[in-house]
Amino acid sequence: MGVPPVARARLIALALVLLLSRPLQAQGKSGGVHVLLVTGLSAEPQYARTFAQAASTIYDAARKGWGVADSSLIYLAEDPTRDSVRITGVSNRETIQHSIELLSRQVKPGDIVLFFLVGHGNGEGADSKVNLPGPDPTAADYRRWLTAFPSQSVVFVNASSGSGDFLAVESGANRVVITATKTALERNETHFAEYFARALSGTEADADKDGRVSALEAFNYAHAEVAKYYTGKNLLQTEHAMLDDNGDGKGTADPGSTEAGDGRLARRLAFGGAAASTDPRVIALMKERRLLEAKLDSLRATKATSDSTSYQKALERLLTDIAIKSQAIRALQKGDPR
Amino acid sequence: MSRLAWPGILLLLGSLVTPGAACAQREQAPERQVAALAERGHVAEAEAMARAGGASLSVALGDILVLSGRLAEAELLYAVAVRDHLPSYRSAEASLAELAARHGRLAEANTRAIALTRAFEQGTRWSAPDQVAAARGYVVLGLTDPQAAHAALTVFDAAAALDSSNIDARVLAANLLLDKYNGPDAVETFKSALTIAPNNPRALLGLAMVQAFEGNPAAAPGAQRALAQNPSLVGAHLLLARFNLEAEAYDSAAAGARRALAIDSSAMQGWGILGSVSWLVGDSAGYRSARVHAERINPQPAEFFSAIAEAAARQRRYDDAVRFGRLAVAADSTSAPGLTVLGNNELRTGAMDSGRSHIDRAFAIDPFNLWNKNTLDLLDQLKQYVTVATPRFQIVVPKDEADYYRIYLGPLLEQAYDQFAARYEYRPAAPIRIEMFRNHADFSVRGIGLAGLGALGVSFGRVLALDGPAARPAGEFNYGSTAWHELAHTFTLGLSDHRVPRWLSEGLSVLEERRAGRGWGANATVDFLASYKGGRLLPVSRINDGFVRPAFPEQVTMSYYQASLICEMIEAERGPTAIRDMLRGYAEGLDTRAVFAKVLQTTPAAFDQRFDGWFRKRFAVALENIDAWDGTGPLGGTYLAAVADGVVLLKAAHFDSARVVLARAQQLFPGDGSTDGAAWYLAQVAYAQGDFATEATELAQVTSHDETAMEANAKESEAREREGDLPGAMAALDRLLWIAPYNDSTHLHLADLAERAGDWARVVRERRGILALNPTDRLEARYQLARALAKAGHREEARREVLQVLEAAPGFEKAQTLLLELRGSGGGNQ
Repeated sequence: MGVPPVARARLIALALVLLLSRPLQAQGKSGGVHVLLVTGLSAEPQYARTFAQAASTIYDAARKGWGVADSSLIYLAEDPTRDSVRITGVSNRETIQHSIELLSRQVKPGDIVLFFLVGHGNGEGADSKVNLPGPDPTAADYRRWLTAFPSQSVVFVNASSGSGDFLAVESGANRVVITATKTALERNETHFAEYFARALSGTEADADKDGRVSALEAFNYAHAEVAKYYTGKNLLQTEHAMLDDNGDGKGTADPGSTEAGDGRLARRLAFGGAAASTDPRVIALMKERRLLEAKLDSLRATKATSDSTSYQKALERLLTDIAIKSQAIRALQKGDPR
Repeated sequence: MSRLAWPGILLLLGSLVTPGAACAQREQAPERQVAALAERGHVAEAEAMARAGGASLSVALGDILVLSGRLAEAELLYAVAVRDHLPSYRSAEASLAELAARHGRLAEANTRAIALTRAFEQGTRWSAPDQVAAARGYVVLGLTDPQAAHAALTVFDAAAALDSSNIDARVLAANLLLDKYNGPDAVETFKSALTIAPNNPRALLGLAMVQAFEGNPAAAPGAQRALAQNPSLVGAHLLLARFNLEAEAYDSAAAGARRALAIDSSAMQGWGILGSVSWLVGDSAGYRSARVHAERINPQPAEFFSAIAEAAARQRRYDDAVRFGRLAVAADSTSAPGLTVLGNNELRTGAMDSGRSHIDRAFAIDPFNLWNKNTLDLLDQLKQYVTVATPRFQIVVPKDEADYYRIYLGPLLEQAYDQFAARYEYRPAAPIRIEMFRNHADFSVRGIGLAGLGALGVSFGRVLALDGPAARPAGEFNYGSTAWHELAHTFTLGLSDHRVPRWLSEGLSVLEERRAGRGWGANATVDFLASYKGGRLLPVSRINDGFVRPAFPEQVTMSYYQASLICEMIEAERGPTAIRDMLRGYAEGLDTRAVFAKVLQTTPAAFDQRFDGWFRKRFAVALENIDAWDGTGPLGGTYLAAVADGVVLLKAAHFDSARVVLARAQQLFPGDGSTDGAAWYLAQVAYAQGDFATEATELAQVTSHDETAMEANAKESEAREREGDLPGAMAALDRLLWIAPYNDSTHLHLADLAERAGDWARVVRERRGILALNPTDRLEARYQLARALAKAGHREEARREVLQVLEAAPGFEKAQTLLLELRGSGGGNQ
């Protein structure tokens, strides 16, 4: 049965959109990711532990999982002696500013800069802060500093208590802003950092199982796990994480649920994944697989209007073909010539 | 009901109240004297005085006649008083309106009440007694117009303000508040009446009625206090009779009702109680007689039928309650109590739409009824629920919990049905409806119309309502055993035609829990044995009182266990046929004495002795080592002392000594499975010594006796896993799932153990369970399910599942491999 020309044109257009919306790149070992981790004053040992746990988890993931170069991985904390292997310096205003300048000189257009901040928040609006050793930078200061990355994608995460007001201040083009709380008034201890770090460091948050964890997947995972934490303990949830990536300064708790709202950029910015192969056989197979994936995207777009049986048959055929290609790619990458 | 002012009436009162009213009261002193005599129960003297007073006291005489049930004569006197504008004629008009309502002549009652209240609204210089009369008019109007109740309250208050000594204004206002379910304000108002008339019998009775309304056991002594002030106080006799009816003390209930009716034969509530008792004990002549008397007072006695419907429902005879509810509504389609009792019992029998419709109508007539409001709110909530259907059950659950219930509760209920059907040789008609509530407050409303029900589940026969696992903190109860227990009622109620006494039905349900073999059901505890030994528990012949009027709070739970032991003994000595024959005996209308005689060939008294002997033999060792307890002071005995010694040694890490002492303690009360008993501590000693086999054995003692032993089950599973006993480890986790079902790590662990044991059917179940819990990593969970399905031999289902996974995540490597494996074009294990 033929497809009417108009419908076909629409399908093709849709396929292109879907192709274009794939992650910017399998960031993997490509060196396109830069990470700045900042933990604030802890005040109590338990917070020192949880802040350090979150930051070091992301640090290890970036180093070992994403292949981020030493020079692009900076971890600042209140007490550098706590973990001299990972921590680069003190998390004060000057060092943060200096670190940003340092990274800004290393980035290339299209790179991703992940700025992760966790601590105790205070203040409101543009004066919102995270308690650091020495004078605290305001949200407005961070905004100004981030202008050092005009042609990069920035993922700015403030996992601190009372971080909500950072969202509107840091919001901007090509920028994903994530806060652990909805407003500056949610000032109780937050658990978002722990789950966000876990999301970036494992495979559990990889909802589409493509071997990478996007900023959107990490957010959604942490958001869901935080809710489960409070439900499981029969506690009233006192933190409500938000994400903004369309630059309107208005966050959402369920990004990616609609095409028009927040979540589109966060879906594209992904961390991890296998390194790009230089083997021409692998490159050829991957190209073939991408074509199959494009066909699959087109097929899925017709699901609602297709006959169920023929859809399932076509689906299974394509998925099997993709699986065979993937198996062949893996075999070559492992040195298995089959 | 709120004490909101009614602006229109207040404005009116501002212009009506004048100092002259007080003079009119002084002129009515003889009338007050008559009333005072009647208030103390000196009815004959009051009547004589009123008759001697001639026309000026004819209304007072009418009031005396009403108190003694001579309504026709009273009506005649009132009519003359109204016609001739005799003193207190406005009170006579109010009385005529009230009597017309009592006789079911609602149109006439309304006409009279409207005339009276209009005159009040347009008149001037109304005395306090006249204002009370007007307020009574509003109360009559309030039978069909809820707004009129507000007006009545306002006018009662105005009368009391005008004459602070007017006791009627306060008592009647308080009665109205109570009638509209406002207990706290009613109490305050009754108390204010008692400040001006200490020991006023009606006010004392009112306080007792509020206590009864609140379920306070002090209500009965309160009613007795009122009777001490006025032995002829009909309401007090009726209240006590009602308590006896609720406690299933039918002879006492009937005697109380007869005492009330001997004073006032027109007391409809008295005929309602007599009719209820007669119907409950199968005395059809007595029932017919009560009905005839009720119909003489009101040819359409909705109140009478409603009372019997309530009594039937209290005896769990819900179909009969519906039948009487229908009679009540047929008699008076505007009867809010009739509509309420009909609607509630329809909801209990699963007629949800009709039940809702009747509750809706009742609430429109009586919007003060909080129970009905709660029920309607709950029914709105239930619209958000979905139904999980199994061959014989409709499980009504919150949408997001439906998959979980389908996997676990559905099969459990089907299994229970088969077991019970075989044991009782009875098969209730399907479908049986079971509602699982996410919030305890909702369950409570389903049970009693209000929050605060202490139970975990209720059985209405073929409709069950339960707390769902999310309704209480994990570890607080076992939802599986609760469902098992409630479903057992469906069988025992059904086989006995809903006539089984509470103790036997509960006893069998608890026994069935124990038979389920999962550590469910109550078991002997130190408290229980000490209480039995101390004489705190009731003999079999009176054990029902332990449920319906417990002497102390724990007596209820102890009675559950005791009743289960009675059933166990009967079955052990007479076989399961005896239990079935007993239930059938009740269905034939026999009472317990007759059932005992027919089936067990004994009397309740003789059975008491037999059970006591059986009990003391069964728990002989433990009873020797546990001191008798009267409910005060600490529990004692050699067993507890030995356990305490063992715990001291355990805490000091003297494990060898602790083991010896605790093992000795265990012999003093074999079978103590509590989490502060010898076995529990012995398990800790064994763990500390690395003796996991013994740890598992001791923990099993706990998990086989304590159905909510969350920690013990988790520990037993670990211990058995360490010992390589995978089936034992899985069994412990299986038990845990009925205590804390929504812990995904338990399901994951169980799936892992099952996989290691090669029990792929169980892996599939657990993987489905994990999916039903809506895991964050849903695709991984679905992949794992597909994999388990494949291993379990369900390759087609596995293929469909993995295709859906890959449709969402085409690059999912493990799923790709599984797909190829399933298609025979790939290999390797996952």
